[in-house]
Amino acid sequence: MSVIIETRKLSKTYEGAFGSQDVVALKDLDLVVHGGEIYGYLGPNGSGKTTTIKLLLALIFPTSGEIEILGEKNITARKVRQNIGYLPEGAYYPDFLKGEEVLRFYGRLYGLGGKDLERRIDAVMDTVGMTHARKRLLRGYSKGMRQRIGLAQALISDPQILILDEPTTGLDPIARKEIRDILARLRDEGKTLLISSHELLEVELICNRIGILSYGVLQTQGAIDELLTDREISILVAGTEQGAAQLEGTGITVEDTVGDRIKLRVPDETHVYDALARCKAAGLQLVSVAPRRETLEELFVRVVGAAEAAARKAAV
Amino acid sequence: MSSVAVSAGGLLTPLRGPWTIAWYTYREGIRKKTLVGFLILSLLVIFGSSFMGAFLNPTTVGDVEKDIDLKLIKDICVTSISIFGILITIFVSASAVPTELENRVVYTILSKPVRRFQYLLGKFAGVQLIVLVNLGLMGALFFLLLYFRQGVMPTLLLWSIFFTYFEFLIVSAFTFAISCTATSAVLPTIGGLFVWITGSLTEYLKDVGVRSGWKGWAGFEGPSDLMEHFSVEKLVGGLAESLFRVLPNLQEYNLKMQILDKPPNDPPTIDLIPQLIIYGLVYAASGFILAYLFYRRKEI
Repeated sequence: MSVIIETRKLSKTYEGAFGSQDVVALKDLDLVVHGGEIYGYLGPNGSGKTTTIKLLLALIFPTSGEIEILGEKNITARKVRQNIGYLPEGAYYPDFLKGEEVLRFYGRLYGLGGKDLERRIDAVMDTVGMTHARKRLLRGYSKGMRQRIGLAQALISDPQILILDEPTTGLDPIARKEIRDILARLRDEGKTLLISSHELLEVELICNRIGILSYGVLQTQGAIDELLTDREISILVAGTEQGAAQLEGTGITVEDTVGDRIKLRVPDETHVYDALARCKAAGLQLVSVAPRRETLEELFVRVVGAAEAAARKAAV
Repeated sequence: MSSVAVSAGGLLTPLRGPWTIAWYTYREGIRKKTLVGFLILSLLVIFGSSFMGAFLNPTTVGDVEKDIDLKLIKDICVTSISIFGILITIFVSASAVPTELENRVVYTILSKPVRRFQYLLGKFAGVQLIVLVNLGLMGALFFLLLYFRQGVMPTLLLWSIFFTYFEFLIVSAFTFAISCTATSAVLPTIGGLFVWITGSLTEYLKDVGVRSGWKGWAGFEGPSDLMEHFSVEKLVGGLAESLFRVLPNLQEYNLKMQILDKPPNDPPTIDLIPQLIIYGLVYAASGFILAYLFYRRKEI
């Protein structure tokens, strides 16, 4: 699989003004995004996600390191720019323009014009499902419709790469699903998507690979299936809370209690028989035992938590 | 590559992006409430000035009354165009770039195949379109007012509007340059007002230099001589003299006294008209180049 975006030892430090401390926003980032995949770029607020995106778009400049996009080190080259579509978080599109006028404006910036531009507008309006509203002023658009117009402007040159910053934030569940379906369709068409997001469920549903960033350092990167392993075992038992309380301090985690059903978790299969024996001793009846896949949220919390602990330790 | 083919290149292709941005800037700018407010107010003042005669002393009669009435109208209109025009110019020039940073439109533009120079050129051209249209509207109303009052084509007024634009152009370019360093329109607005006020008072700066006894750097024979003859007056004088040499002299473009005192179809008595045009263009170009230097490596 070809590498479309690659950074090597990419670092960005913001100099502190008036003698205040410098801020390391990004440190030695080795990011690899392959062609035809959706890469989920995750991290808590202030972890360096937007800094990375701005560096990839040459809106800010690296302190050190290299960026290569489509094999080009000159990322402002026309060949590169022509092939990148970008949707910033919470971007504004002028209210006084119609949907199609917004696309005409952005299309012209790519050097498109005449019938070619009109054909592209037709095509992207169709892709984002906005053909019915293309002649309406943006002031009459809902938030979801504005976001779809934002996505359409990113697609107007039919770029190979799409960089999307929080594409579903603030949208209702239906609009979110619609955007998610569009993104999956674009991936199926062969486009490469780099999505920065806080919506972990969305990312888990559509991304092929992810990278988790914390304190400006890429903590982990890889295929989502490899990172989310079947690590733990889930045990469902029936019994009383008093019975469940007897399991405390035995390495068994009580996850949830609904009625008389108690959901337990053990770290791996080697602990299962021991846990079952303890349950029996506590008067709990076995309902089911199943391998449990770690969720992306859990992986995220684990990785970011470890990074925070390391940072706190280093600060002491 | 999957991107669609762009239109065939040509000599004007690099200008397509700037023109698109300029037209968008113009369309967005003319909708700004502050700007529309200034324009309406100025048009009301210009139109209202024709009724000022009603408030003149009724004992004054004949040609004298007519003459005073006309002078009053001219004075109000020229001042109104100058003040409201410069306020519109400063407001638009100061906000064009920072506003797009605030609402993040700049990210969607500069991530496209648009150079920062092209972006700034487009924004600046858009600002000039707004300034020209506003000046044109105010000038047209004043022109019609004078024409119907005097029955003669007031060509001197056209010259005045033409030169007023150069004054606006210079202030606009430097305000625009300051705005390229800022993240909001406040600082560039203050900067623009400073440029306009000092640019209108440069003759006084020269006068301060002369009165302080400052004879220029050539008047000193070396650092020791400079220290020996140092005084606060001379420092202020030197500063004023230096500012006089650096700042544009906006008074050069002022035809107010001629409009008030001369027949409406007289030619302007400004010498060296082509030089004045070049002077204005050079200052405007300097302002724009400064803007580009500020913005070239700006982290946005």
